[in-house]
Amino acid sequence: MAELVNLKLTRRTLLKAGTAMTALPFLGIGAPSVLAQGLSKSPTKVLDFTTNADVAKAEQEGQLVFYCHENEAGTAGIMEGFNKDFPKIKTSYVRAQTGALYNKILSERSAGRFDVDAIQLSDLAPAVDFQKKGGYEFYVSPETSAYKADHLSSPAGSFFWTGVDPAGIAYNTDKVSSADAPKGWQDIVNPRWKGSISCKIVASGLQFVQWYTLRKIYGASFWREFAKLNPHAFDSRVQLFDRLAKGDDRITAIGEYPAYILFKGKGAKVAFVAPPDGLVATPLVVGAVNRAPHPEAAKLFVDWAMSKRGQAWYQSNPNLYYGSVRTDAPPMPTGVRLADLKLLYPADWDDYSANRDVFAKEWNGMLGL
Amino acid sequence: MEWYARPVIPAATKFVGSPISAQKLAGYGVAAVAAVLVLYPVFFLLQASLDVGDPLARPPTAYGLDNFSGLFQFPQILLNTLTVSLAAAVMALVFGFVMAWILTRTNVPGRRMFEQLMVVPYYLTPLLGALAWSLLGSPESGFINQVWRALGGQSYLININTPYGIAWVMALFEGSVAFVMIAAVMKSMDPSLEEASQVMGASRLRTMLHITLPLVIPGVLGAAIFVFAEMLGSFAVALVLGLPNRYYVVTTAIYQLVQQYPPKIQVAAAMGVSLFAVMFVMLFLYRRIVMAGSYVTITGKAFRPRVVDVGFLRYSLLGVCVLYLFAAVLMPLTTLLYASVQKIAVAFPTAENLTLANFRMAMSMDAVRSALGNSLLLGFGTATIGVVLMGLLAWLIYRSRLPGSGLIEYIVMFPQSVPRLVFAFGMMWAWVVFPIPIYGTLWLLLIAYLTVFLPLGVRTIAGVMLQIDKSLEECAQMCGASWAFRMRTVTVPLLMPGLVAAWLLLFISSIRELGASILLMGPHSKVITPSIVESWFGTSSELTATLALIQTLVVAIAMVVLVAVTRRVAAQQVD
Repeated sequence: MAELVNLKLTRRTLLKAGTAMTALPFLGIGAPSVLAQGLSKSPTKVLDFTTNADVAKAEQEGQLVFYCHENEAGTAGIMEGFNKDFPKIKTSYVRAQTGALYNKILSERSAGRFDVDAIQLSDLAPAVDFQKKGGYEFYVSPETSAYKADHLSSPAGSFFWTGVDPAGIAYNTDKVSSADAPKGWQDIVNPRWKGSISCKIVASGLQFVQWYTLRKIYGASFWREFAKLNPHAFDSRVQLFDRLAKGDDRITAIGEYPAYILFKGKGAKVAFVAPPDGLVATPLVVGAVNRAPHPEAAKLFVDWAMSKRGQAWYQSNPNLYYGSVRTDAPPMPTGVRLADLKLLYPADWDDYSANRDVFAKEWNGMLGL
Repeated sequence: MEWYARPVIPAATKFVGSPISAQKLAGYGVAAVAAVLVLYPVFFLLQASLDVGDPLARPPTAYGLDNFSGLFQFPQILLNTLTVSLAAAVMALVFGFVMAWILTRTNVPGRRMFEQLMVVPYYLTPLLGALAWSLLGSPESGFINQVWRALGGQSYLININTPYGIAWVMALFEGSVAFVMIAAVMKSMDPSLEEASQVMGASRLRTMLHITLPLVIPGVLGAAIFVFAEMLGSFAVALVLGLPNRYYVVTTAIYQLVQQYPPKIQVAAAMGVSLFAVMFVMLFLYRRIVMAGSYVTITGKAFRPRVVDVGFLRYSLLGVCVLYLFAAVLMPLTTLLYASVQKIAVAFPTAENLTLANFRMAMSMDAVRSALGNSLLLGFGTATIGVVLMGLLAWLIYRSRLPGSGLIEYIVMFPQSVPRLVFAFGMMWAWVVFPIPIYGTLWLLLIAYLTVFLPLGVRTIAGVMLQIDKSLEECAQMCGASWAFRMRTVTVPLLMPGLVAAWLLLFISSIRELGASILLMGPHSKVITPSIVESWFGTSSELTATLALIQTLVVAIAMVVLVAVTRRVAAQQVD
């Protein structure tokens, strides 16, 4: 079944490997794994994608432990997709918001526990930090060529953007008339929403992106005005839309497009607004973890997630609906392509990461914590 | 749910045995296990609260008191905690007192049945109560408020997301202990004092206010302190009902602070240690009240609690009982069932809104497929090992004459003074660095449950142990029976009803446990109650209601089977 494909061992690959080796010693990353991966394996074709993982060995390992920021149903959905294609690999997962998940993995690793194979985060800041700490396994997937450099770790091989989660504004159509509905981001600070607007908690990666990008556009006073509305903050997008659908909140300042599609499908009376400035968007990044207990399964999962097959699953699962950044990605189930949307990302990811503490302090203060 | 005074052992009768007797070996062995279970995590908890270095570096890089001084930045949270705990404790005590009086001292119809039903809210768990009351009493979407508006009302009738709404649910579902404690006091009251009052011409109300109430005051005061301490550590209700209204108490604030990045673990630990200090003072006061012999109604004189004939009032009192159980049992369960068959839970669903998809989804989730099984397994493990461990500890503290048993009592009762969520941090740090890799496995949860339920198990078994006359054991000893033989042939058979009760209590407590489990479960060791909370965070309220219902149903079936088995075993023993 497996088909051998020539390995391209380029000077660039070796340079990347060399760069990665300098990042090492924190948390036990092993330099030999970089070279071993580069020199010893030829990609094989499995199903309709290519992998550098030893599939037989991955199946022999028999398990994949996945840490994921996504909600319970979404995380279970990702594992279900992988397990469908590789039924001999039993999957298990831990889900929590990105902040909590990152704390957990760091605590475990500082105590010498290496129980996780792959991790997905909804915030680039901890992903870059984890890369700096040598937490990721350096693994350049054969599927990497289908991604732009902007959508890969720098250097490529630590993590990639498995999807993008765009958010606009959403409101309850029973509680808000279309005339009163917000049209742009400035409208979310209108005093009329006092006590009836929602947002996410500080542990959310997307919330951090929204805070950062809108602060850049509208200035620091924008969020101070927002704080005066006494917003209700929740953990997940489903909670936000659950409350919106029932009228507990009239509007959510961070209406994620995937959740909008999900709830619209359930018959909820909600509407989505795409502000002219663009939808705030956060990359959802996946990488294999260094010193994983099931390293081949971890690599296989990364390849599967990067592949057209995995991306189609991510993009069409109702609990995920991520927009794919693959260069050859098909449209989302709604017919919209991610590339058709105007997205707002932080222009400077380093500056973004450096502002984490400022955000946490301001957001906690706003929520009374 | 009592703290018991240790019997005073006259010096002359203190145990003098061989240095390595079986009794000493077992006693000190089990004491050492208890000390490790409790003190090992406490060390890490205190260490974290004094850690002022990098929050992600372990062991700490710097020490100081900054985390404690930083607590003054959260005056509102401290005030919220006191408000909600106090309100919940007062409500629980009023419910407890009224229900205890009705069911122990009046001739209300069906009082025996109602007395049994009073413990059902405890089995239903505070989480289930909070989920149900959230569906019922949210200002906009609450079913009660939807009906209210449909009938022409304006705005909303009730708002469960207020401090008093939170306190109401806490009192209903976490306050049933107040009923148990006050009912025990009322049952042990000499009725001749009330009879004398009525003979002198006092009305029933006057008798209740001037005779009954003063007589039970010490017991009620003890219960008040105990219940207040319980409410301070409450987590699930404040999480589900407080979060939507930005209303944080110490436990929910701790949870939020440690979930974020960068984490504020040290501040959370300091908050937890401070809460521990308050709870410790509360429990110390309670213990002083109990040990001071304030139960002046308990005498050596034989009597039976007299049931007062309240005439037609008994039907009104019956209404009170029915109303209480309606609010605490029937309405929450019906609400969850109603929500679980809808796509979007509303008071007046249309045909297209009805669905069984929530049950299909629930059955495919880890929460049901593995977490429920893990919870049942852990329930069996905790109850079985716990009964042995805690039985031996109860014997060590209250029956043995081994030196140092008083100190063991304090150690064993320690987890009662710390919210489980806080204690779980200590356990997480303690066991993550433990050389044997139990972190992330069911073993860690088993250890955690055995630790946090030490006070509950020891108290329950001690309650029965103190009712058994020591002379039976002493008689066997005088006849030359060894310690092991005495335990096997005298103590354990006499304790059997208490051990069975403790087993069931530990079983159900393990399955409903949330505070410790939510931090300690791993990918292969998920358990049901935290999984339901995770579902509340990340899926719809309809699916969460479905999960809570499934949990209740499975636990109810397990309980019915277990009770039937234990009754059959008991009957066989009698035969």
